[in-house]
Amino acid sequence: MASISSFAMPSEAPTYSFAAAQSASGQPRQHGFYPYTDNGGSTLGISGDSFTILAGDTRSTSGYNINTRYAPKLFKLGGSGPNHEGSKIVLSVVGFAADGNALQERLDTIVKMYKYQHGKDISVHACAQRLSHILYNKRFFPYYVHAILGGIDEEGKGALYSYDPVGSYEREQCRAAGAAASLIMPFLDNQVNLKNQYDPNSGPGLEKVQRVPKPLDRTTVEEIVRDAFTSAVERHIEVGDGLQMMIITKDGIEEVYTPLKQD
Amino acid sequence: MFIARSEYDRGINTFSPEGRLFQVEYSLEAIKLGSTAIGLTTADGVILGVEKRITSTLLETSSVEKVVEIDRHIGCAMSGLQADARSMIEHARVTSQSHAFNYSEPIKVESCTQAICDLALRFGESASGEEEESIMSRPFGVALLIAGHDENGPSLYHAEPSGTFYRYDAKAIGSGSEGAQAELQASYHKSLTIPEAEEMVLKTLKQVMEEKLDANNVQLASVTKDKGFRVYSDEEMKTCVSRIEGE
Repeated sequence: MASISSFAMPSEAPTYSFAAAQSASGQPRQHGFYPYTDNGGSTLGISGDSFTILAGDTRSTSGYNINTRYAPKLFKLGGSGPNHEGSKIVLSVVGFAADGNALQERLDTIVKMYKYQHGKDISVHACAQRLSHILYNKRFFPYYVHAILGGIDEEGKGALYSYDPVGSYEREQCRAAGAAASLIMPFLDNQVNLKNQYDPNSGPGLEKVQRVPKPLDRTTVEEIVRDAFTSAVERHIEVGDGLQMMIITKDGIEEVYTPLKQD
Repeated sequence: MFIARSEYDRGINTFSPEGRLFQVEYSLEAIKLGSTAIGLTTADGVILGVEKRITSTLLETSSVEKVVEIDRHIGCAMSGLQADARSMIEHARVTSQSHAFNYSEPIKVESCTQAICDLALRFGESASGEEEESIMSRPFGVALLIAGHDENGPSLYHAEPSGTFYRYDAKAIGSGSEGAQAELQASYHKSLTIPEAEEMVLKTLKQVMEEKLDANNVQLASVTKDKGFRVYSDEEMKTCVSRIEGE
Protein backbone atom coordinates (compact mmCIF):
# COMPACT_ATOMS: atom_id res chain seq x y z
CA MET A 1 0.00 0.00 0.00
CA ALA A 2 0.93 3.63 -0.31
CA SER A 3 4.04 3.98 1.74
CA ILE A 4 4.32 7.04 3.92
CA SER A 5 6.95 9.15 2.24
CA SER A 6 10.00 9.81 4.36
CA PHE A 7 10.10 13.08 6.19
CA ALA A 8 12.56 15.26 4.27
CA MET A 9 13.54 18.90 4.49
CA PRO A 10 13.29 20.84 1.25
CA SER A 11 16.57 21.32 -0.55
CA GLU A 12 18.25 24.72 -0.59
CA ALA A 13 17.96 25.16 -4.33
CA PRO A 14 14.48 25.50 -5.79
CA THR A 15 13.75 22.55 -8.06
CA TYR A 16 13.19 23.65 -11.60
CA SER A 17 11.53 21.43 -14.13
CA PHE A 18 14.44 21.53 -16.52
CA ALA A 19 18.06 21.63 -15.40
CA ALA A 20 20.25 24.14 -17.13
CA ALA A 21 22.74 22.43 -19.41
CA GLN A 22 26.33 22.80 -18.28
CA SER A 23 28.38 24.85 -20.69
CA ALA A 24 32.05 24.43 -19.93
CA SER A 25 33.60 24.78 -23.36
CA GLY A 26 35.19 21.67 -24.77
CA GLN A 27 33.61 19.54 -22.05
CA PRO A 28 30.92 16.99 -22.79
CA ARG A 29 27.54 18.41 -21.81
CA GLN A 30 25.13 16.58 -19.61
CA HIS A 31 21.53 17.39 -20.26
CA GLY A 32 18.89 16.91 -17.65
CA PHE A 33 15.18 16.31 -17.64
CA TYR A 34 13.49 16.85 -14.31
CA PRO A 35 9.80 17.00 -15.02
CA TYR A 36 8.67 16.79 -11.41
CA THR A 37 8.47 19.33 -8.59
CA ASP A 38 7.36 18.74 -5.00
CA ASN A 39 4.81 21.36 -4.02
CA GLY A 40 4.60 20.21 -0.41
CA GLY A 41 1.39 20.28 1.58
CA SER A 42 -0.57 17.51 3.22
CA THR A 43 -3.96 15.87 2.92
CA LEU A 44 -5.92 13.51 5.09
CA GLY A 45 -9.17 11.60 4.97
CA ILE A 46 -11.29 9.85 7.60
CA SER A 47 -14.48 7.93 6.94
CA GLY A 48 -17.30 7.55 9.43
CA ASP A 49 -20.56 5.63 9.53
CA SER A 50 -22.52 8.02 7.32
CA PHE A 51 -19.93 10.55 6.19
CA THR A 52 -16.40 10.97 4.91
CA ILE A 53 -14.17 13.94 5.66
CA LEU A 54 -11.32 14.94 3.40
CA ALA A 55 -8.98 17.75 4.34
CA GLY A 56 -5.89 19.45 3.02
CA ASP A 57 -3.84 22.53 3.70
CA THR A 58 -3.84 25.20 1.01
CA ARG A 59 -0.16 26.19 0.91
CA SER A 60 1.83 25.55 -2.25
CA THR A 61 5.62 25.62 -1.95
CA SER A 62 8.65 25.15 -4.06
CA GLY A 63 11.81 24.81 -2.07
CA TYR A 64 11.75 27.47 0.66
CA ASN A 65 9.41 29.66 -1.38
CA ILE A 66 5.65 29.86 -1.03
CA ASN A 67 3.97 30.00 -4.45
CA THR A 68 0.58 30.84 -3.03
CA ARG A 69 -1.25 30.61 0.27
CA TYR A 70 -4.41 29.33 -1.37
CA ALA A 71 -4.09 26.41 -3.79
CA PRO A 72 -6.82 23.85 -3.02
CA LYS A 73 -5.88 20.17 -3.04
CA LEU A 74 -9.49 18.99 -2.74
CA PHE A 75 -11.69 18.62 -5.80
CA LYS A 76 -15.33 17.71 -6.19
CA LEU A 77 -15.89 15.23 -9.01
CA GLY A 78 -18.87 15.27 -11.36
CA GLY A 79 -21.99 17.22 -10.50
CA SER A 80 -23.28 20.01 -12.69
CA GLY A 81 -21.91 23.41 -13.53
CA PRO A 82 -18.66 25.07 -12.48
CA ASN A 83 -19.44 24.46 -8.79
CA HIS A 84 -20.07 20.73 -9.27
CA GLU A 85 -23.55 20.90 -7.77
CA GLY A 86 -24.94 17.55 -6.69
CA SER A 87 -21.48 15.98 -6.57
CA LYS A 88 -20.94 13.20 -4.00
CA ILE A 89 -17.31 12.30 -4.60
CA VAL A 90 -14.18 14.23 -3.64
CA LEU A 91 -10.64 13.65 -4.85
CA SER A 92 -7.67 14.96 -2.92
CA VAL A 93 -4.22 15.07 -4.45
CA VAL A 94 -0.89 16.00 -2.91
CA GLY A 95 2.60 15.95 -4.34
CA PHE A 96 3.27 17.59 -7.68
CA ALA A 97 0.44 20.10 -8.11
CA ALA A 98 0.49 20.19 -11.92
CA ASP A 99 0.04 16.41 -12.07
CA GLY A 100 -2.63 16.66 -9.40
CA ASN A 101 -4.60 19.16 -11.47
CA ALA A 102 -4.21 17.10 -14.63
CA LEU A 103 -5.39 13.99 -12.81
CA GLN A 104 -8.38 15.77 -11.32
CA GLU A 105 -9.44 17.10 -14.73
CA ARG A 106 -9.23 13.66 -16.31
CA LEU A 107 -11.21 11.93 -13.60
CA ASP A 108 -13.82 14.71 -13.54
CA THR A 109 -14.37 14.30 -17.29
CA ILE A 110 -14.71 10.54 -16.88
CA VAL A 111 -17.25 10.93 -14.06
CA LYS A 112 -19.31 13.32 -16.19
CA MET A 113 -19.11 11.06 -19.28
CA TYR A 114 -20.14 8.08 -17.14
CA LYS A 115 -23.37 9.85 -16.25
CA TYR A 116 -24.12 10.67 -19.88
CA GLN A 117 -23.38 7.12 -21.03
CA HIS A 118 -25.04 5.12 -18.31
CA GLY A 119 -27.73 7.50 -17.06
CA LYS A 120 -26.73 7.24 -13.40
CA ASP A 121 -24.18 8.75 -11.06
CA ILE A 122 -20.95 6.79 -10.80
CA SER A 123 -20.49 4.96 -7.50
CA VAL A 124 -17.36 5.66 -5.40
CA HIS A 125 -16.51 2.00 -5.81
CA ALA A 126 -16.50 2.31 -9.63
CA CYS A 127 -14.74 5.67 -9.54
CA ALA A 128 -12.04 4.20 -7.28
CA GLN A 129 -11.34 1.38 -9.74
CA ARG A 130 -11.21 3.84 -12.65
CA LEU A 131 -8.77 6.12 -10.82
CA SER A 132 -6.52 3.14 -10.17
CA HIS A 133 -6.40 2.43 -13.91
CA ILE A 134 -5.71 6.05 -14.82
CA LEU A 135 -2.71 6.01 -12.49
CA TYR A 136 -1.49 2.61 -13.65
CA ASN A 137 -1.77 3.59 -17.31
CA LYS A 138 1.03 6.03 -16.58
CA ARG A 139 3.08 3.39 -14.79
CA PHE A 140 6.31 4.47 -16.52
CA PHE A 141 5.79 8.25 -16.30
CA PRO A 142 3.56 8.49 -13.26
CA TYR A 143 1.38 11.27 -11.96
CA TYR A 144 3.55 12.27 -9.01
CA VAL A 145 0.74 12.38 -6.49
CA HIS A 146 -0.72 10.62 -3.52
CA ALA A 147 -4.44 10.56 -4.18
CA ILE A 148 -7.23 9.98 -1.67
CA LEU A 149 -10.79 9.51 -2.90
CA GLY A 150 -13.78 9.96 -0.62
CA GLY A 151 -17.51 9.51 -0.91
CA ILE A 152 -20.54 7.58 0.25
CA ASP A 153 -20.88 3.93 -0.79
CA GLU A 154 -24.02 2.19 -2.09
CA GLU A 155 -25.05 1.27 1.48
CA GLY A 156 -24.83 4.93 2.59
CA LYS A 157 -21.62 4.36 4.56
CA GLY A 158 -18.58 6.59 4.35
CA ALA A 159 -16.02 5.32 1.84
CA LEU A 160 -12.36 6.28 1.60
CA TYR A 161 -9.80 4.97 -0.88
CA SER A 162 -6.08 5.81 -0.85
CA TYR A 163 -3.61 5.38 -3.70
CA ASP A 164 0.08 5.27 -4.37
CA PRO A 165 1.34 7.16 -7.46
CA VAL A 166 1.04 4.07 -9.73
CA GLY A 167 -2.49 3.08 -8.81
CA SER A 168 -2.20 0.52 -6.05
CA TYR A 169 -5.21 1.22 -3.85
CA GLU A 170 -7.08 0.15 -0.76
CA ARG A 171 -10.25 1.10 1.09
CA GLU A 172 -9.41 2.37 4.57
CA GLN A 173 -10.84 4.11 7.64
CA CYS A 174 -8.25 6.86 7.55
CA ARG A 175 -5.17 7.98 5.67
CA ALA A 176 -2.77 10.90 5.72
CA ALA A 177 -0.71 11.78 2.67
CA GLY A 178 1.87 14.33 1.57
CA ALA A 179 4.68 16.20 3.28
CA ALA A 180 3.40 15.75 6.84
CA ALA A 181 2.01 12.24 6.37
CA SER A 182 4.69 10.81 8.61
CA LEU A 183 3.65 13.26 11.31
CA ILE A 184 -0.11 12.81 11.00
CA MET A 185 -0.49 9.09 10.24
CA PRO A 186 0.74 7.80 13.63
CA PHE A 187 -1.65 10.23 15.33
CA LEU A 188 -4.51 8.85 13.22
CA ASP A 189 -3.46 5.26 13.96
CA ASN A 190 -3.74 6.06 17.63
CA GLN A 191 -6.87 8.20 17.59
CA VAL A 192 -8.97 6.54 14.87
CA ASN A 193 -7.86 2.92 14.90
CA LEU A 194 -6.98 3.07 18.64
CA LYS A 195 -3.56 1.51 18.08
CA ASN A 196 -1.53 1.11 21.31
CA GLN A 197 -4.60 1.85 23.37
CA TYR A 198 -5.54 -0.91 25.77
CA ASP A 199 -8.55 -1.56 27.91
CA PRO A 200 -7.56 -0.19 31.36
CA ASN A 201 -9.54 -3.00 33.03
CA SER A 202 -7.57 -5.75 31.28
CA GLY A 203 -4.65 -7.45 32.96
CA PRO A 204 -0.95 -6.62 32.73
CA GLY A 205 1.58 -7.79 30.11
CA LEU A 206 0.24 -10.30 27.60
CA GLU A 207 -3.24 -10.10 29.09
CA LYS A 208 -3.63 -6.54 27.83
CA VAL A 209 -6.63 -6.18 25.53
CA GLN A 210 -6.50 -3.78 22.58
CA ARG A 211 -9.38 -1.29 22.49
CA VAL A 212 -11.70 -2.01 19.56
CA PRO A 213 -12.09 0.89 17.12
CA LYS A 214 -15.65 2.08 16.49
CA PRO A 215 -16.83 4.45 13.76
CA LEU A 216 -16.42 8.01 15.03
CA ASP A 217 -19.06 10.73 14.98
CA ARG A 218 -18.67 13.78 12.82
CA THR A 219 -17.71 16.37 15.44
CA THR A 220 -14.99 14.09 16.87
CA VAL A 221 -13.56 13.53 13.40
CA GLU A 222 -13.56 17.26 12.64
CA GLU A 223 -11.66 17.86 15.90
CA ILE A 224 -9.12 15.17 15.04
CA VAL A 225 -8.59 16.73 11.60
CA ARG A 226 -8.05 20.21 13.04
CA ASP A 227 -5.67 18.91 15.73
CA ALA A 228 -3.72 16.92 13.13
CA PHE A 229 -3.21 19.96 10.95
CA THR A 230 -2.45 22.53 13.65
CA SER A 231 0.21 20.14 14.96
CA ALA A 232 1.62 19.44 11.51
CA VAL A 233 1.88 23.19 10.84
CA GLU A 234 4.05 23.58 13.95
CA ARG A 235 6.52 20.92 12.83
CA HIS A 236 6.56 21.10 9.04
CA ILE A 237 7.44 24.19 7.06
CA GLU A 238 5.63 23.08 3.89
CA VAL A 239 2.28 22.88 5.65
CA GLY A 240 0.21 25.88 6.64
CA ASP A 241 -1.79 28.94 5.57
CA GLY A 242 -5.28 27.42 5.43
CA LEU A 243 -7.22 24.24 6.10
CA GLN A 244 -9.80 23.17 3.56
CA MET A 245 -12.24 20.46 4.66
CA MET A 246 -14.94 18.72 2.68
CA ILE A 247 -17.56 16.72 4.52
CA ILE A 248 -19.41 14.29 2.25
CA THR A 249 -22.80 13.00 3.43
CA LYS A 250 -25.78 11.50 1.61
CA ASP A 251 -27.10 15.04 1.20
CA GLY A 252 -24.02 16.40 -0.56
CA ILE A 253 -20.73 18.08 0.21
CA GLU A 254 -20.15 20.73 2.86
CA GLU A 255 -17.02 22.80 2.47
CA VAL A 256 -15.29 24.47 5.40
CA TYR A 257 -12.22 26.73 5.29
CA THR A 258 -10.30 27.77 8.40
CA PRO A 259 -7.04 29.72 8.51
CA LEU A 260 -3.84 28.07 9.72
CA LYS A 261 -0.59 29.75 10.81
CA GLN A 262 1.18 31.50 7.96
CA ASP A 263 4.74 31.19 9.31
CA MET B 1 -41.54 -0.20 -50.66
CA PHE B 2 -39.96 -1.41 -53.91
CA ILE B 3 -41.71 1.18 -56.09
CA ALA B 4 -39.01 3.80 -56.04
CA ARG B 5 -36.25 1.27 -56.63
CA SER B 6 -33.48 3.09 -58.45
CA GLU B 7 -29.84 4.04 -58.08
CA TYR B 8 -30.56 5.05 -54.52
CA ASP B 9 -30.58 1.49 -53.28
CA ARG B 10 -26.98 0.96 -54.30
CA GLY B 11 -25.09 3.50 -52.25
CA ILE B 12 -25.49 2.41 -48.66
CA ASN B 13 -25.22 5.85 -47.17
CA THR B 14 -27.15 7.78 -49.79
CA PHE B 15 -30.63 9.03 -49.00
CA SER B 16 -33.30 8.57 -51.68
CA PRO B 17 -35.23 11.74 -52.63
CA GLU B 18 -38.05 10.52 -50.35
CA GLY B 19 -35.56 10.42 -47.49
CA ARG B 20 -35.04 6.69 -47.23
CA LEU B 21 -31.97 4.52 -46.85
CA PHE B 22 -32.85 1.51 -48.96
CA GLN B 23 -30.00 -0.76 -47.87
CA VAL B 24 -30.97 -0.32 -44.26
CA GLU B 25 -34.58 -1.11 -45.10
CA TYR B 26 -33.49 -4.21 -47.02
CA SER B 27 -31.46 -5.37 -44.05
CA LEU B 28 -34.67 -5.34 -42.04
CA GLU B 29 -36.11 -7.66 -44.68
CA ALA B 30 -33.23 -10.07 -44.14
CA ILE B 31 -34.40 -10.52 -40.57
CA LYS B 32 -37.87 -11.50 -41.72
CA LEU B 33 -36.23 -14.50 -43.42
CA GLY B 34 -34.53 -15.59 -40.19
CA SER B 35 -35.75 -18.13 -37.68
CA THR B 36 -38.15 -16.93 -34.98
CA ALA B 37 -36.81 -15.77 -31.63
CA ILE B 38 -38.89 -14.69 -28.64
CA GLY B 39 -38.09 -12.83 -25.44
CA LEU B 40 -40.36 -12.54 -22.40
CA THR B 41 -39.82 -10.47 -19.25
CA THR B 42 -41.11 -11.56 -15.86
CA ALA B 43 -40.54 -10.09 -12.41
CA ASP B 44 -38.00 -12.85 -11.68
CA GLY B 45 -36.05 -12.79 -14.92
CA VAL B 46 -36.16 -12.94 -18.69
CA ILE B 47 -36.79 -16.01 -20.85
CA LEU B 48 -35.41 -16.26 -24.37
CA GLY B 49 -36.61 -18.87 -26.84
CA VAL B 50 -35.34 -19.56 -30.35
CA GLU B 51 -36.37 -21.84 -33.18
CA LYS B 52 -33.56 -23.98 -34.56
CA ARG B 53 -34.05 -24.87 -38.20
CA ILE B 54 -32.84 -28.42 -38.61
CA THR B 55 -32.24 -28.53 -42.36
CA SER B 56 -30.95 -32.09 -42.42
CA THR B 57 -31.38 -35.17 -40.31
CA LEU B 58 -27.60 -35.47 -40.39
CA LEU B 59 -27.15 -32.03 -38.82
CA GLU B 60 -25.73 -31.96 -35.32
CA THR B 61 -28.43 -29.87 -33.59
CA SER B 62 -26.17 -28.68 -30.79
CA SER B 63 -24.04 -26.82 -33.37
CA VAL B 64 -26.90 -24.43 -34.14
CA GLU B 65 -26.16 -21.66 -31.67
CA LYS B 66 -28.73 -18.90 -31.73
CA VAL B 67 -28.75 -17.89 -28.11
CA VAL B 68 -25.45 -16.90 -26.56
CA GLU B 69 -23.92 -15.31 -23.49
CA ILE B 70 -22.61 -11.74 -23.58
CA ASP B 71 -21.71 -11.41 -19.92
CA ARG B 72 -22.70 -13.34 -16.82
CA HIS B 73 -25.79 -11.18 -16.47
CA ILE B 74 -26.61 -10.57 -20.16
CA GLY B 75 -27.64 -13.00 -22.89
CA CYS B 76 -28.80 -12.60 -26.43
CA ALA B 77 -30.98 -14.35 -29.01
CA MET B 78 -30.58 -13.64 -32.71
CA SER B 79 -32.47 -13.83 -35.97
CA GLY B 80 -31.10 -13.17 -39.44
CA LEU B 81 -27.58 -13.64 -40.74
CA GLN B 82 -25.79 -15.63 -38.02
CA ALA B 83 -22.33 -14.59 -39.15
CA ASP B 84 -23.13 -10.91 -38.77
CA ALA B 85 -24.26 -11.50 -35.22
CA ARG B 86 -20.86 -12.90 -34.35
CA SER B 87 -19.09 -9.56 -34.69
CA MET B 88 -21.87 -7.71 -32.86
CA ILE B 89 -21.73 -10.16 -29.97
CA GLU B 90 -17.95 -10.03 -29.91
CA HIS B 91 -18.22 -6.24 -29.62
CA ALA B 92 -20.81 -6.51 -26.84
CA ARG B 93 -18.66 -9.00 -24.93
CA VAL B 94 -15.58 -6.81 -25.18
CA THR B 95 -17.57 -3.75 -24.11
CA SER B 96 -19.01 -5.61 -21.11
CA GLN B 97 -15.64 -6.93 -20.03
CA SER B 98 -13.96 -3.56 -20.43
CA HIS B 99 -16.68 -1.93 -18.33
CA ALA B 100 -16.19 -4.52 -15.59
CA PHE B 101 -12.41 -4.03 -15.82
CA ASN B 102 -12.60 -0.25 -15.64
CA TYR B 103 -15.34 0.15 -13.07
CA SER B 104 -15.43 -3.24 -11.27
CA GLU B 105 -19.20 -3.43 -11.70
CA PRO B 106 -21.42 -5.21 -14.24
CA ILE B 107 -22.47 -3.08 -17.20
CA LYS B 108 -26.12 -2.03 -17.42
CA VAL B 109 -28.21 -3.90 -20.00
CA GLU B 110 -29.16 -0.62 -21.68
CA SER B 111 -25.53 0.50 -21.94
CA CYS B 112 -24.59 -2.84 -23.48
CA THR B 113 -27.45 -2.55 -25.99
CA GLN B 114 -26.37 0.99 -26.82
CA ALA B 115 -22.84 -0.29 -27.51
CA ILE B 116 -24.23 -2.88 -29.95
CA CYS B 117 -26.32 -0.24 -31.72
CA ASP B 118 -23.33 2.10 -31.99
CA LEU B 119 -21.58 -0.69 -33.88
CA ALA B 120 -24.63 -1.37 -36.05
CA LEU B 121 -24.32 2.09 -37.58
CA ARG B 122 -20.63 1.84 -38.38
CA PHE B 123 -21.06 0.71 -41.96
CA GLY B 124 -20.66 2.32 -45.35
CA GLU B 125 -17.94 3.88 -47.45
CA SER B 126 -16.10 6.15 -45.09
CA ALA B 127 -14.74 9.31 -46.66
CA SER B 128 -11.07 9.06 -47.58
CA GLY B 129 -8.72 10.28 -44.89
CA GLU B 130 -11.35 9.70 -42.25
CA GLU B 131 -9.77 8.45 -39.08
CA GLU B 132 -12.26 5.76 -38.20
CA GLU B 133 -12.55 3.22 -40.99
CA SER B 134 -15.95 1.58 -41.08
CA ILE B 135 -15.63 -2.11 -40.42
CA MET B 136 -18.66 -3.28 -42.41
CA SER B 137 -19.41 -2.41 -46.01
CA ARG B 138 -23.14 -2.98 -45.51
CA PRO B 139 -25.62 -2.88 -42.62
CA PHE B 140 -25.79 -5.95 -40.42
CA GLY B 141 -28.48 -8.41 -41.48
CA VAL B 142 -29.40 -9.51 -38.00
CA ALA B 143 -31.70 -8.43 -35.17
CA LEU B 144 -30.92 -9.20 -31.56
CA LEU B 145 -33.01 -9.71 -28.46
CA ILE B 146 -30.80 -8.69 -25.55
CA ALA B 147 -31.93 -9.98 -22.18
CA GLY B 148 -30.29 -9.08 -18.93
CA HIS B 149 -30.55 -8.47 -15.23
CA ASP B 150 -28.99 -5.40 -13.63
CA GLU B 151 -29.56 -3.02 -10.71
CA ASN B 152 -32.92 -2.03 -12.22
CA GLY B 153 -34.10 -5.64 -12.39
CA PRO B 154 -34.73 -7.79 -15.46
CA SER B 155 -35.00 -6.16 -18.87
CA LEU B 156 -35.33 -7.08 -22.53
CA TYR B 157 -34.14 -4.98 -25.47
CA HIS B 158 -34.62 -5.36 -29.21
CA ALA B 159 -31.79 -4.03 -31.39
CA GLU B 160 -32.19 -3.59 -35.15
CA PRO B 161 -29.67 -3.11 -37.99
CA SER B 162 -30.84 0.50 -38.25
CA GLY B 163 -29.15 1.12 -34.90
CA THR B 164 -32.38 1.84 -33.05
CA PHE B 165 -33.34 -0.10 -29.96
CA TYR B 166 -36.40 -0.34 -27.76
CA ARG B 167 -37.18 -2.00 -24.48
CA TYR B 168 -39.98 -4.58 -24.48
CA ASP B 169 -41.94 -6.68 -22.02
CA ALA B 170 -42.28 -9.29 -24.74
CA LYS B 171 -40.93 -9.32 -28.28
CA ALA B 172 -40.73 -11.70 -31.22
CA ILE B 173 -38.35 -11.37 -34.19
CA GLY B 174 -37.75 -13.38 -37.35
CA SER B 175 -39.99 -15.06 -39.91
CA GLY B 176 -42.79 -15.89 -37.50
CA SER B 177 -42.61 -12.59 -35.66
CA GLU B 178 -45.92 -11.14 -36.83
CA GLY B 179 -48.01 -14.05 -35.65
CA ALA B 180 -45.94 -14.54 -32.55
CA GLN B 181 -46.10 -10.86 -31.57
CA ALA B 182 -49.89 -10.89 -31.89
CA GLU B 183 -50.03 -14.00 -29.72
CA LEU B 184 -47.77 -12.40 -27.09
CA GLN B 185 -49.85 -9.21 -27.17
CA ALA B 186 -52.93 -11.27 -26.34
CA SER B 187 -51.52 -13.49 -23.61
CA TYR B 188 -48.76 -11.46 -21.91
CA HIS B 189 -49.33 -10.13 -18.42
CA LYS B 190 -47.00 -8.61 -15.82
CA SER B 191 -47.46 -11.29 -13.16
CA LEU B 192 -46.01 -14.20 -15.16
CA THR B 193 -43.78 -16.66 -13.32
CA ILE B 194 -40.70 -18.19 -14.94
CA PRO B 195 -42.35 -21.60 -15.64
CA GLU B 196 -45.39 -19.80 -17.11
CA ALA B 197 -43.10 -17.72 -19.30
CA GLU B 198 -41.27 -20.84 -20.49
CA GLU B 199 -44.59 -22.35 -21.50
CA MET B 200 -45.79 -19.17 -23.20
CA VAL B 201 -42.58 -18.93 -25.24
CA LEU B 202 -42.78 -22.58 -26.32
CA LYS B 203 -46.49 -22.42 -27.13
CA THR B 204 -45.99 -19.29 -29.20
CA LEU B 205 -43.06 -20.83 -31.05
CA LYS B 206 -45.12 -23.96 -31.64
CA GLN B 207 -47.84 -21.90 -33.33
CA VAL B 208 -45.52 -20.12 -35.75
CA MET B 209 -42.98 -22.85 -36.53
CA GLU B 210 -43.26 -24.75 -39.79
CA GLU B 211 -41.85 -27.99 -38.38
CA LYS B 212 -43.40 -29.70 -35.40
CA LEU B 213 -41.87 -28.37 -32.21
CA ASP B 214 -39.77 -30.84 -30.19
CA ALA B 215 -36.94 -30.69 -27.68
CA ASN B 216 -34.33 -30.62 -30.46
CA ASN B 217 -35.55 -27.79 -32.67
CA VAL B 218 -36.07 -25.15 -30.01
CA GLN B 219 -33.73 -23.71 -27.42
CA LEU B 220 -34.60 -21.84 -24.25
CA ALA B 221 -32.35 -19.67 -22.11
CA SER B 222 -32.96 -17.53 -19.05
CA VAL B 223 -31.44 -14.58 -17.23
CA THR B 224 -32.16 -14.41 -13.51
CA LYS B 225 -30.67 -12.48 -10.62
CA ASP B 226 -29.13 -15.53 -8.94
CA LYS B 227 -27.99 -17.68 -11.83
CA GLY B 228 -27.33 -14.99 -14.44
CA PHE B 229 -27.53 -16.08 -18.06
CA ARG B 230 -28.07 -19.79 -18.59
CA VAL B 231 -28.83 -21.90 -21.66
CA TYR B 232 -31.18 -24.78 -20.85
CA SER B 233 -29.64 -28.25 -20.98
CA ASP B 234 -31.08 -31.00 -23.20
CA GLU B 235 -32.63 -32.56 -20.13
CA GLU B 236 -34.36 -29.30 -19.11
CA MET B 237 -35.55 -28.77 -22.69
CA LYS B 238 -37.18 -32.20 -22.67
CA THR B 239 -39.10 -31.51 -19.45
CA CYS B 240 -40.19 -28.04 -20.65
CA VAL B 241 -41.43 -29.39 -23.98
CA SER B 242 -43.22 -32.30 -22.32
CA ARG B 243 -45.07 -29.82 -20.08
CA ILE B 244 -46.72 -28.09 -23.04
CA GLU B 245 -47.35 -31.35 -24.89
CA GLY B 246 -49.48 -32.57 -22.02
CA GLU B 247 -52.13 -29.98 -22.83
